[in-house]
Amino acid sequence: MPPPNTPEEGLATTALRPSDEDNFRVSSPSSAMAHASQTTCSSKLDYQNIEYIDPVDETLLCPVCKTAFHSPITTPCGHTFCAGCINRALETQSTCPIDRLPVDKTRDYVRLPLIIKDQLDRLQVKCPNRGCDYQCSREHIEGHYERRCEHTPVQCPDPTCSQRVPRRDAAPENGCMHQEVTCEFCEERVTFVEIISHQTYDCRGAIVNCPDCKEHLSRHCLAKHQAQDCPESNTQCKWHSAGCKVADKRRVVQEHEQSGCPSEVVGRLMQKQDEDRKIIDELAGRLTKFELAQSKKRERHTQRTRVGGSNVANTSRSATGANVPGITLNNNAPPLFPDSTDDGAEGGSPEDYLLAQFERLEAQVELLRKQSLEMDARQSHIILQHATHFSEHLTEIGNKVGIVNMHMSWLMSLQRQNVQQRAGSTAGPSNTGMSHGNVTSGGGRPPPPRETSGWVYSEESPRNSEGRSEPLHRL
Amino acid sequence: MTVPFAAKRLGKELQKISNSLPPGVELVSAENFEEWLLDIKVLDDNPLYQNQTYRLKFRFGPSYPIEPPEVVFVQLPDRPIPMHPHVYSNGIICLDLLGQQGWSPVQNVESVCMSLQSMLTGNSKNERPPGDEDFVRVNRQRPKDIQFYYHDNDV
Repeated sequence: MPPPNTPEEGLATTALRPSDEDNFRVSSPSSAMAHASQTTCSSKLDYQNIEYIDPVDETLLCPVCKTAFHSPITTPCGHTFCAGCINRALETQSTCPIDRLPVDKTRDYVRLPLIIKDQLDRLQVKCPNRGCDYQCSREHIEGHYERRCEHTPVQCPDPTCSQRVPRRDAAPENGCMHQEVTCEFCEERVTFVEIISHQTYDCRGAIVNCPDCKEHLSRHCLAKHQAQDCPESNTQCKWHSAGCKVADKRRVVQEHEQSGCPSEVVGRLMQKQDEDRKIIDELAGRLTKFELAQSKKRERHTQRTRVGGSNVANTSRSATGANVPGITLNNNAPPLFPDSTDDGAEGGSPEDYLLAQFERLEAQVELLRKQSLEMDARQSHIILQHATHFSEHLTEIGNKVGIVNMHMSWLMSLQRQNVQQRAGSTAGPSNTGMSHGNVTSGGGRPPPPRETSGWVYSEESPRNSEGRSEPLHRL
Repeated sequence: MTVPFAAKRLGKELQKISNSLPPGVELVSAENFEEWLLDIKVLDDNPLYQNQTYRLKFRFGPSYPIEPPEVVFVQLPDRPIPMHPHVYSNGIICLDLLGQQGWSPVQNVESVCMSLQSMLTGNSKNERPPGDEDFVRVNRQRPKDIQFYYHDNDV
């Protein structure tokens, strides 16, 4: 992978880029014309490779390429992308990459507010060409790169050669500069046009001057020289961790160290302490390991004595009778299996193993018992809940039946009364007193005095129904 | 010579994740823009994945991030394949996010790692996908060529 900002990276093939992108670029007619005339020989600026001087605000980064928007467009759902990025994305999936709403390529695009464009234009950038230190706002970099920068690769002046050379070397009198030559320092084959840049930047064997002490040395030694030897490089006093603030050229710092740095005592003390701490840590680690082994041994010992000592204790400890044969086997184990306990491994002896197994089983049985108890409790709780529910329903139904019963008796009494009244009215007024008594006993208010001729059921019922239904509801 | 789209985007991502990564995600190696290795851990107390670290292998095609990367779990002595009903025992992951349909170019390595973390976190089944043994025995395809059928929306 070449490092960023190599001239090669600046090249962007126009073929790869969807043509739509150009439709959205705001450019003056003159620059468009100049652009058209130059594309044949000059490289096109790749906006994704530009280095920004200040970090770009995250809101101005395209979510697809993660670089500052280049000729941005907005989808109908309101998301903004570089035109090139969204076009590539829509080739595989015709939905917005962010919210997956359908987007119709190019037709649905909305132009971005110009204020965003201005913001993007004002970002300060570096020229992507290696060797060029030009910096400007982003709106001008394209012109610089494509038309003015001397480092931009353009087509070789030799019409038979398809390669590219930096603009400054592309004079017709130079001819084609793409023949290969051997680098005198590293023996690598390099094209003639690249030999200078190779020796300046890449060649490991090239002789360079140390920028600090001007000493000549080959490039691959330079970093080491600057970090360790160069008397003119800036460095810190070796006791800076102990608080010495001296930082100067190595020459000065060395003098300072030799003449006795005041922090040296503290530094040495700290070194000593660090060493001591290491030893202490190691010893502590060993101690815990030892203790662990010791406690394991002790545990195993007590277990063995317990198992060997009393069979009774074990049988009483076991809750299930099924494990008893296991215990007797435990007791027999030592004579059956000759001593293999002192090999240091955990559970090395058969009785240890059996004991462990037994304990595990016991624990499992205990667990199962607990679980079944829990399940029982849960089950009975559920049943209880259902039962209360049912009994509630039953009482409710009982209540309702009672109410219906009352309605029934009331209706029946009313019916009876009516029949009696009818009978009374035909027989004579002597029966009305009885019918009155029936009505009042039904819980209603006494009927208002009326003419006897008005004693018709249809007139009576609306008045009385109110008064009669009330007590029923109260029940 | 043009730097592929994928490399440019991955360069940006690498820059970002070498500075900061979400908790439980660690970059193991990213020596080129074709294959990266990352370690992920499940941080909550899901007993299935406690104290375990899983190794993820990302493989990027030249049209990443338009096309999804190929992401699989890798088995190493100290890096098991997590138990999950969508993770086959050979490390292949059945996740719509990593398929052609579910992928979106706004996703990135970091977001994929976090999705996988949450996929593991939300799982309570200690099992492999149905037909795991047959699949592992028979499958010679690359994960991206397998036609998964994403039926389970719970996990």
